[in-house]
Amino acid sequence: MLVGVLAGAALVGLLLVLRTVTAGPGGAGLPDRVSDFVTLSVSVVIESLPFVFLGILISAVVRFWVPDRWLQRVMPRTPWLRRVTISLVGVLLPVCECGNVPLARGFLMKGFSVPEAMTFILAAPILNPVTIVTTYQAFGWDDGILAGRIIGGFVIANLVGWLFSRHPQPWSLLTPSFEAACRAEAGHDAPAGQRVRLRRAVVAFAEETSTMLPALVVGSAIAGAIQVGISRDVLVALGGNPVWSVLALMALAFVIAICSNVDAFFVLAFGSTFLPGGVVAFLVFGAMIDIKMLTLLRTTFTTKALALLVTVVALASIALGFGVNLLA
Amino acid sequence: MLLSLVGVVAIVWLALTGQLGLYIHPRYFEFTIVMAVIAGMAVVAAFAVVPGAEPDHDHDHVHGHAHDDHVGDPGIQDARGGGSGTRAVWAVLSVVVVAATAVALLVIPPATLTSATVAQRDLNASAAVAEEAPELVGTDTAGFTVKDWASLLRQGAGEEYFAGKTADITGFVTPDADDPENVFYIARFVVTCCAVDAQPVGVPVYLPGWQHDYAIDSWVSATGGFGPNPSGTSAQAIVFEPAELTAVDQPAEPYVY
Repeated sequence: MLVGVLAGAALVGLLLVLRTVTAGPGGAGLPDRVSDFVTLSVSVVIESLPFVFLGILISAVVRFWVPDRWLQRVMPRTPWLRRVTISLVGVLLPVCECGNVPLARGFLMKGFSVPEAMTFILAAPILNPVTIVTTYQAFGWDDGILAGRIIGGFVIANLVGWLFSRHPQPWSLLTPSFEAACRAEAGHDAPAGQRVRLRRAVVAFAEETSTMLPALVVGSAIAGAIQVGISRDVLVALGGNPVWSVLALMALAFVIAICSNVDAFFVLAFGSTFLPGGVVAFLVFGAMIDIKMLTLLRTTFTTKALALLVTVVALASIALGFGVNLLA
Repeated sequence: MLLSLVGVVAIVWLALTGQLGLYIHPRYFEFTIVMAVIAGMAVVAAFAVVPGAEPDHDHDHVHGHAHDDHVGDPGIQDARGGGSGTRAVWAVLSVVVVAATAVALLVIPPATLTSATVAQRDLNASAAVAEEAPELVGTDTAGFTVKDWASLLRQGAGEEYFAGKTADITGFVTPDADDPENVFYIARFVVTCCAVDAQPVGVPVYLPGWQHDYAIDSWVSATGGFGPNPSGTSAQAIVFEPAELTAVDQPAEPYVY
């Protein structure tokens, strides 16, 4: 056991040495575009990584320290009421969307249904204190942007939850291996004894990071590549049109892949070029779905389930954006 | 697990050498560092607990990755079902991912964004520059950055406002899209969250043949006033007229917030 810790520490040392050695002065002599691609992708990774770690940690705590019986007792029995409750859980767990995927996996392992997990994934990034505060800081009560984001996010999450609850076999929406892992865990209550729990939590942390990080890295690289490859003028030029402003900002949200906790500050920069409906659509759609989220979600859900999810959320966000543009 | 370690080490090293600001806004520094340290400890602890991760082999890189897959990636691997062939493909793919990540995070020196991104993002287009301009008019200009001057120019503060004003700014050199021969910008990136959302802002300078003295993306520091733009093709009405223009090193904080 001690040997393992030493080996881990040695590996950390090795990587640190590698970093120090390679950190010579001056650039790497890469072409500008390649260099920018690396910088952008790395910045997505560095920005999301802490949230992913936090999500995995909370997920491990929920799995191994929260008793099943306690969860069943606090949760209402009626399915839609359960989903409404679950969509508000984010208020207690201020993790942005990249951290929500591991957390939702923890909930699924804990016996939550697939529609419930979907509702959580969609609602929690928006209905959490950090997101609400930053959105308020960025926009105040202007143009119903804050209200549109909160109410819209809540409604869309529950709509999707309800739709997926109509599915005849919701478990088939999960990847087979993850479903098997859930079934293996079902029925086992949190293990007794702090040492055992800690041990299993550490193992779970290792497993979850090994599943999540490749997905995060690939998603970040795609996001970086799109950023370098596609000019942003086109999107910005569409900003003033009631219809196009919504679609353009949703496309931007999809490719830029930044966390919901901070995206309000980003879109504030576009606030005067775009109509409020576009901003709301950006804040709702971007918090639920983006290129990095899709690679993360693919670890858990089948491609078919994700296609359905994206379609429903996109249509609902478009409707929301148009609605806000009409009212504002 | 190896990927986590790469990420953790990269973050901690950037933080120690004060370069985390190249990627994210300072308001996230503490959270990022704390989570990186916690995750680092958890991963090291996992080395002790995870069965099969016994350290009885050398630190051969490829070997380490093969391990990772074993412990780690049932989600993706088994999902594809597959016999040993697909398994091998996935093992190779994950080695590629880990290696690429290590190169990007640990081998390539940290860098700022370049003019290639300026071209993609429409200099001064975002309203990052528009938001604050009204408050700027009438305040003391001594501490104004590139961003502040760019806001004022974009807002069309007018020649009479700029008359007699002196600016002291530092930024990198990037060519004007309309008149690259004669006009360049002294520019900075404005970061609201992380480098992904960086918006370029800049102050135009009319200086025919500037390419001979200043390379694109090199950093300059300048002092001077403002005047009408003599360029026929540039869209800018007012340009910065530096009395002094010197090449400088890239500042420790290349982005503005």
